[in-house]
Amino acid sequence: MKRFIKDLKKYKNYILYATKAELKTEVINSYLGWLWMILEPLAFMFIYMFIGAVVFKSNVEYYPIFVFIGLSAWNFFNKMVVVSVKLVSTNRDTVTKVYLPKFVLLLVKMGVNLFKMFVSFLLVILFMIFYKVPITWNVLWFFPIILTLIVFTFGVCTFILHFGVFAEDLSNLVNIALRMIFYLTGVFYDLSTRIHNVVYRTILLDLNPIANIIYNLRNVLIYKSGIVGMWTLIWFIVGVLISVLGIKTIYKYENTYVKVMK
Amino acid sequence: MKNKEIAISVNDLHVYYRDMNRFSLKKGFKNKGSGKIFKAVKGVTFEVPKGEILGICGKNGSGKSTLLRAISGIFSPDKGSINLHGNSISLLSIGVGFQKQLTGYENIYLSGMLLGYNKEQIDEKINDIIEFSELGDAINRPVRSYSSGMYSKLAFSITAILETDIMLIDEVLSVGDIHFKEKSYNKMKELISDSNRTVVIVSHSTNTLVDLCDRVIWLHDGLIKKEGKPEKIMAEYEEFMRENA
Repeated sequence: MKRFIKDLKKYKNYILYATKAELKTEVINSYLGWLWMILEPLAFMFIYMFIGAVVFKSNVEYYPIFVFIGLSAWNFFNKMVVVSVKLVSTNRDTVTKVYLPKFVLLLVKMGVNLFKMFVSFLLVILFMIFYKVPITWNVLWFFPIILTLIVFTFGVCTFILHFGVFAEDLSNLVNIALRMIFYLTGVFYDLSTRIHNVVYRTILLDLNPIANIIYNLRNVLIYKSGIVGMWTLIWFIVGVLISVLGIKTIYKYENTYVKVMK
Repeated sequence: MKNKEIAISVNDLHVYYRDMNRFSLKKGFKNKGSGKIFKAVKGVTFEVPKGEILGICGKNGSGKSTLLRAISGIFSPDKGSINLHGNSISLLSIGVGFQKQLTGYENIYLSGMLLGYNKEQIDEKINDIIEFSELGDAINRPVRSYSSGMYSKLAFSITAILETDIMLIDEVLSVGDIHFKEKSYNKMKELISDSNRTVVIVSHSTNTLVDLCDRVIWLHDGLIKKEGKPEKIMAEYEEFMRENA
């Protein structure tokens, strides 16, 4: 872990610069530029609003914001996992020429997607003002919950990155798993009221960390409530543990990654 | 040379490639490839005193590049050890690898930071790098729009201007057009003639090695076959290659 902190300091500038450069390029290279960061989640919001409101006749309060919060958090997790699978091989030019701790690549992507999530949540705030959502001190819970999401995502991605180097078709498996988790996470429907069976509800809402995080984000941001249950804390601890294990795994095997890619 | 400070110590170095790699889920976990081990470097020991220019020759597949990558820290040794005695190191092959969607300018910063420079140090040198690379305004274009010549010019310029204590050079002496080739060759000469800099050059070219090096190691099938004065070793190497052609 000492080495992790030392490397973090050493590569801090690189991570920041690479993050900025990547964001800037994305903006420059697309016709609508930074608008995509807003348009993309907005477009998806309308799709799911249609499905939720018209097809499923959802009666969730503040439904657009409800969906948007879910999407903001989900997109972060989803994009991170997808990009992690092939992260080492997409950076083969760099990793075959110079040594760098491989989690540095992950942190750059974290930076990029965190920024996008940040923009997305700014929109949530605008929506909240627009819909005159009553705001309580409970919104401060937002920060520990987001921290949990970040730590947990990082932990998952360290392992995905590691196995992605060795297993060629891991991306297929990951795509299926992500799609499954997406539908089980209640991004566009309310798990807590749709699922009536207590056992299933516990499994879906508490044992699925992303669902738990999104559920609690909605509670604290638009439903005036505090965090419900202990599960967010548990997932935070789990997140820290897998991050530590993941970093250790990467340190142990990272110098063989290049050999594998030949 | 006994009283000289040592810059690189390589001790009984082994580097293997295992064929377990890149299994797919389809093929199943139990079948982790053939499990065959290819030994690229099998027990190499040498030391490079500070300031020396060491050449490494050997036919294709003799383990030269693997050895160089192991010294630069990209590969981990499977057995044995490498000690750089705290010197900074860069592998001057075709650049430190660029992020293709980013501009040349941004890539200079990123590469520099990977070589251990901070932003201010790169600020100081960036004009030299751009000037040496002769890219002009193209420096503000994404690297993916570069021709291969422009790419290698930029790559060479970065590693040549952002100097490190130890430079590992892998066949880069032919970069760009004739004009740039000469320029980079002269720059290289200038760089490696610095008595504080330790250099390891991998090359097939007898001229390069005889011209630049103090000592040559001949690598054959992952082992040191011979080492000594460049003229002597290169003559023997050429003869050997001709006989076994």
